[in-house]
Amino acid sequence: MTTKFRGFLTLLLALVVQLSFAQQKTISGTVTDDIDLPLPGVNVIIKGTTTGTQSDFDGNFSINAEPGQTLVFSYIGFATQEVPITLATNTLNLRLQPDAAVLDAVVVTGYTRRNQTVQTSAVVAISAEEINQLTPTTSIDNLLQGKAAGVQVTAANGKPGQGAFVRIRGMGSLVAGASSPLYVVDGAPVREQDLASISNEDIENITILKDAAVTAQYGSRGANGVVVITTKTGNRNRDAVVRFSSRYGTINKIKDNFTMMNAEQKMQYEAEMFALGVAAASTRPGVTTEPGSEERQFLLNNSRDWQDIMLRNGVIQSTNVSFSGGAERMDYFFSTGYDRNTGIIDNIKGFERINSRLNLNFDAKDWLTIGANVGYTRSLSDEPRDRNNVQNPFRAMYIYNPYEPEFQLNPDGTVELDENGNPIYNPTHQGFSIRGALLSEPENTVTNLLLASVNTTVKFSPNWNYTFSAAFNHVNYRRESYSKPGGILQNIIGDPDFPGLKTDNGAQRLDMTLSNRLNYNINTDSGHNLNVLGLFEYNFNENNFYRVTSRGFPSAALTTQINAAEVTIGTTNRNRLTLVSYGLFADYNFKERYLASASIRTDGSSNFGKGNEFGTFYSASLGWNIAKEEFFSVDAVNDLKIRASYGTVGNRNGIDRYAPRDLVVFDSYPGGSSTIPSNIGNPELKWETTKTSNIGLELNMFNNRLRTVFDYFERNTTDLLFNIPTAHEAGVPGGGIAGNLGEIENKGFEVSIQADLIRKPGLLWTVGGNAGFMKNKIIELPDGEDIAPPTTFNILWREGESLNQHYLLRYAGVDPDTGRPLYLGIDGNAYTSDELVSLFPEDTDHRVLNGRSTIPEVEGGFFNSITYKGWGLRTDFVFKVGNYINNFVRAAIETDGNNPAGNHHVGAFNYWQQPGDTNVLPSPIYRTEVIASDRFLEKGDFIRMRNIVLSYTFPSELLERSPINSLRVYAQGQNLLTFTEFFGDPEVGISSGETINFVNTVAPGEATLFSYPQTKSIQVGVDVSF
Amino acid sequence: MKKLVYKIFSLVFIAGVYTSCDDSLDQIPFDNLSSDTAFITAADFENGIRGVYNGLTAPGYYGSSDAGSLLSFPDIISDNVTLAQRGRRSKAYLHEFQYLPSASPTGFYVNAYSVIFRANNILFQLDGFNGDNKASIEAEARALRAMAHFDLVRTYGKIPTQSADANESLGVAYLTDPDPLAEPARNTVGEVYQNIVEDLTFAAANINVDNPEGRMGRDAVNVLLSRAYLYMGQWQNAIDAANNVTTPIAPRSSVVDIWEDSSQDGLVFYIPNEATVLNLNIGVTWSQGGLTSLIPEYVVSFEFYNKFNDEDIRKEAYTLPAANNASGLQFNAIKKLFGRPGQSNGLVDFKILRAEEALLNKAEAQFELSQTGQALSTLNQLRDQRYTSYAGGEAGNALRDAIRLERRLEFAFEYQRFFDLKRWGQPIQRGAFGDLADGTGTPSENLTLPAGDIKFQLPFSSSSLDLNPNLVQNPGY
Repeated sequence: MTTKFRGFLTLLLALVVQLSFAQQKTISGTVTDDIDLPLPGVNVIIKGTTTGTQSDFDGNFSINAEPGQTLVFSYIGFATQEVPITLATNTLNLRLQPDAAVLDAVVVTGYTRRNQTVQTSAVVAISAEEINQLTPTTSIDNLLQGKAAGVQVTAANGKPGQGAFVRIRGMGSLVAGASSPLYVVDGAPVREQDLASISNEDIENITILKDAAVTAQYGSRGANGVVVITTKTGNRNRDAVVRFSSRYGTINKIKDNFTMMNAEQKMQYEAEMFALGVAAASTRPGVTTEPGSEERQFLLNNSRDWQDIMLRNGVIQSTNVSFSGGAERMDYFFSTGYDRNTGIIDNIKGFERINSRLNLNFDAKDWLTIGANVGYTRSLSDEPRDRNNVQNPFRAMYIYNPYEPEFQLNPDGTVELDENGNPIYNPTHQGFSIRGALLSEPENTVTNLLLASVNTTVKFSPNWNYTFSAAFNHVNYRRESYSKPGGILQNIIGDPDFPGLKTDNGAQRLDMTLSNRLNYNINTDSGHNLNVLGLFEYNFNENNFYRVTSRGFPSAALTTQINAAEVTIGTTNRNRLTLVSYGLFADYNFKERYLASASIRTDGSSNFGKGNEFGTFYSASLGWNIAKEEFFSVDAVNDLKIRASYGTVGNRNGIDRYAPRDLVVFDSYPGGSSTIPSNIGNPELKWETTKTSNIGLELNMFNNRLRTVFDYFERNTTDLLFNIPTAHEAGVPGGGIAGNLGEIENKGFEVSIQADLIRKPGLLWTVGGNAGFMKNKIIELPDGEDIAPPTTFNILWREGESLNQHYLLRYAGVDPDTGRPLYLGIDGNAYTSDELVSLFPEDTDHRVLNGRSTIPEVEGGFFNSITYKGWGLRTDFVFKVGNYINNFVRAAIETDGNNPAGNHHVGAFNYWQQPGDTNVLPSPIYRTEVIASDRFLEKGDFIRMRNIVLSYTFPSELLERSPINSLRVYAQGQNLLTFTEFFGDPEVGISSGETINFVNTVAPGEATLFSYPQTKSIQVGVDVSF
Repeated sequence: MKKLVYKIFSLVFIAGVYTSCDDSLDQIPFDNLSSDTAFITAADFENGIRGVYNGLTAPGYYGSSDAGSLLSFPDIISDNVTLAQRGRRSKAYLHEFQYLPSASPTGFYVNAYSVIFRANNILFQLDGFNGDNKASIEAEARALRAMAHFDLVRTYGKIPTQSADANESLGVAYLTDPDPLAEPARNTVGEVYQNIVEDLTFAAANINVDNPEGRMGRDAVNVLLSRAYLYMGQWQNAIDAANNVTTPIAPRSSVVDIWEDSSQDGLVFYIPNEATVLNLNIGVTWSQGGLTSLIPEYVVSFEFYNKFNDEDIRKEAYTLPAANNASGLQFNAIKKLFGRPGQSNGLVDFKILRAEEALLNKAEAQFELSQTGQALSTLNQLRDQRYTSYAGGEAGNALRDAIRLERRLEFAFEYQRFFDLKRWGQPIQRGAFGDLADGTGTPSENLTLPAGDIKFQLPFSSSSLDLNPNLVQNPGY
């Protein structure tokens, strides 16, 4: 009986299906926004199924459905609408209403996701769409520049894959690295220098948390702001979207805004120097050859521009494929990509990256969700030397003389060959051929980064749920540096019995965060919305390092050390840092009108002294959206929100992981080990604490066509962690003892404005910009004593002064009567260098602090975007005002006769020649009176067109018959225009990467010293989705 | 109900994974030992004393810092070398007498006090130790402490024989405790030398006659002691200490070998320097590159080069004809740290004290005591082992000059010349010759430092002054 019935049922069902097919109809229409602008990309889904489509660029959609079903139209920033299908429904033109609550991007704080409208603190979110517009930068931190008020970004240098110095609301700490924000990718903290391993294409959202109300949730590590990066997820109930994006272009050095001497000028200059008594010029060809002579002509005939020899037009390339979508109970995002940026140095490869990612979320049961975000990246980079010495190609391209050929020449002008028939590199006056060394002294790095974050959520009830997540960030880094046998360097410093020297070093870095969150959420019909989150978290960080150096290689072709004759160095290191955290966070709003949030968090960190491991940080904030009040009836105003917050946040960076302990380390010495005191411990070490107050105003008007945010903040950091220098006589290892001392203050005003000047069907013109106006002050230093921070050149910190000021003798120009350089003494009068000593027997230090800092006073960006039909033109500018840069590059090519051997810029001819000459350089006669001063300190102000994109998005009619859903082609330029009075490129971060590396930099942009220059690029690209 | 059990079960299960997290805040370093466990056994103290010696190889001490170190500055500031234009102008500010508080060899000051801290730390730790070799370790630590103070005081302070006011003038702070927070004031020169003599006298009486290589033995301490007395003008004491040195001077046949590390004759304190241990290419302080591709920082000054006569074995041992063919330049290069046979990498042993100094200290002291006959015969003991033949037979001032010349020749590029000129109250007077082998080329920028000039006492760096409010700058800076 049952079987029979079943069979009958099957038949019936089949009929029904038949029937429904018969009834299915095509419904088409257009989706627009509230002012009738077509909305592309609106999700149209048949409710309760996975069937759906998307509106095209013109807002058109078409879908097969049957009467009785319901279509769901959803689009970010707009209220979701449901439309039931009736027999009569054929055309459906729909106007979506903006959902004011979500018009601004979603804000992700790592623990919670919220809408901007109910946010009570200063946060800025950058969406995938915007990131997509700016993609040529390979690193995320570079991309933040000019995007958010109060976020100061200084590109480290132009090296492919190199990141940037990011300071959120100023410099909050006195030690290197500690002023950087905390970066969190899908819950896993990531080191700033590993950001280049994250593909921009995978990013859904970057949220910058600026004030304590949100950063306090990160307690221990949020003191300098938090950048929360969320990777993409698929949309549920959506067929797979295949997205393919690719771009290709060239990259070049930005042309100098000064001119180097050509061969003829340089030899003329040498002759002039010699005539003025510069003995060192005596052996230069400008002196040893006569103008018009055959020898001189030979040099001129073979002269070259060294930038042409050393540099090339590089290639920049990126390809990315992603699949995303989802079923009813799960969603997925898969991507894989390849990026390449050869950089501009000829003879080496530059930067390459492959990456792949899979993000999955699955509702295993109606009460259980599991998810995994896993990404793997492998980056390869060829590393040029970045030191102010003869091995640096960017120094050589200025210092080598144009009359010095690349190869040694025979008397007939042909290239001289060695016994193997290879051309012999010309060591030049520097004694070192970098062209040859780039080949014989390769250095490269490989960084493998695994970011894996898995989580599960258990729903106890509609109000209660519990989430466990584990986030792993594992870096496997390897660096190889090879000085090949027979190479340029080995011929100078090598050991002929052990030719060749190779170093392999590397790091295994693991950062693991285990997080438990108990969440309570209630939304009442009367309008009360409350969310409470309890947190227990454990973070474990371990680094393992190794270094092996060997010498004696039988062949340059062998690069692994197994073939080496002898190991000279073999070391491994390990260190650990742990953190245990408890937190309670609450957010409340009443009808999105009254907003409040509060947090408390206790963190224990292993690098503080016994009994001082734990620090407690808290915050509170309030907001009032006046526009939501019933009494408020100004139609033009959509949102008028006032918010205020206060909170404390901690910092534990900047001290050694074992700083509280007295330690020794063992070195080798003939006869055995040797004990070296390595640390004088301070058991009193505790958390550095930053208090931040913030007042903000958000005003959105005219249907959100005008969007503005204003913020004022004060940050006060106390108990600064610092390696407090001890007297040299004390002989303390490292020259100091870690301690908590001092106080600094940062204040600022931030403004961000965007306006849709024209918002019409087919035409959208948006302009916007932001700026942060910032001031800082050192309130207290250890014992009130000045500190010349390590890893700077001439920076001094002094109580009552602003941070990172240049501390230099003041140059007073040239005495017009004599041509001697003059300097200002402490009394403000001009003296010669000798008088500065002889006339001031008591105090010969005439250096001053006069407010010239490496930190800009104003920094920001602005953009202009016009889209018309499918065309789009967007330009992004960044700017800085008020910072000073010590231009050591200019000093090196304007030596007043002190280094007549190296090339100079043509301005070096402009030296004093006769009484009355003004606006001139010192006479080379007085070259020994040229002493370190602020002569080369220059304003770093600039405006740079970071980005210009011209794009065309194909109209959907054209694509209708193709399988393609959307197609966008674009041409893009980066750094094509710069306005500055600085001598050289004003975007200066690292001065000299091997002298002060990225991690050790406390004063980014202090000086120029031949690091990798900034580049410009032009690319064309295509984005397609199926 | 079943569902709830599942839920609770999952929660408990997950939470169980990491319940033991809280005690993980107690992290112990992997790469270091706690100081209080590092000085317990006899072997610990052997390691410990080697750690003090290790400090001597630091870049600013006997290392090759570009800012200048004891390895090079006593010759660079004096008349033994000429700045080579072909080089990198490293340490040029010292050579050109341009040193100022803002430009000074701070590394030397810091590294020397670091040796002192380590020595004092050993002495402090020795308090609770009664094992093997305690007396000799204590002696070594005190000798090292004395040596570092001695190097500092002769650089920054006056030398007692230099002028009448020297002993009352400020020297350097003499530290005897490992106090990390010390901000000491300078002791007078007289006090410093008193302490040096005290430490060295203790050391001479207690140190092992011979210690393993790389460490000082009794002869080394006595050479230092004779030098200290010589600087103090205590001539008889200088002679007595020198007489206690039993190591014979190097015979002529091994003079070349010493500087190629194939002989250790006459060395009373040296530190072996191998590619696998230390591996410090200290010779780059003078030059880089090989015989035909030399990039010299400094070359033998032409005036001094001519003082090595052809019968003097040291001409071959200390100087080196070399060229930079690419630039078409010939140099009289400095050979002492150039490299072992066939090498130009500057990887050679640190030779710090030699028996020859005892002999020359003695000759000088004998002369000062008017024991001219003995002085001449002492001098001849050295000359016999250096020249195939020499005139000799000097008397009076000629004898004094001969002793001084022999000291200059014997210890050329060996950390003495500046201090010798200084304590003799002589000026620095360089010849107006260029940097090339035949005396042409470019002469050094400044040729003279008058006798008694303030620049004979180096300035304390601004950073040292900033960090220690009790440190007083030398007059004139």
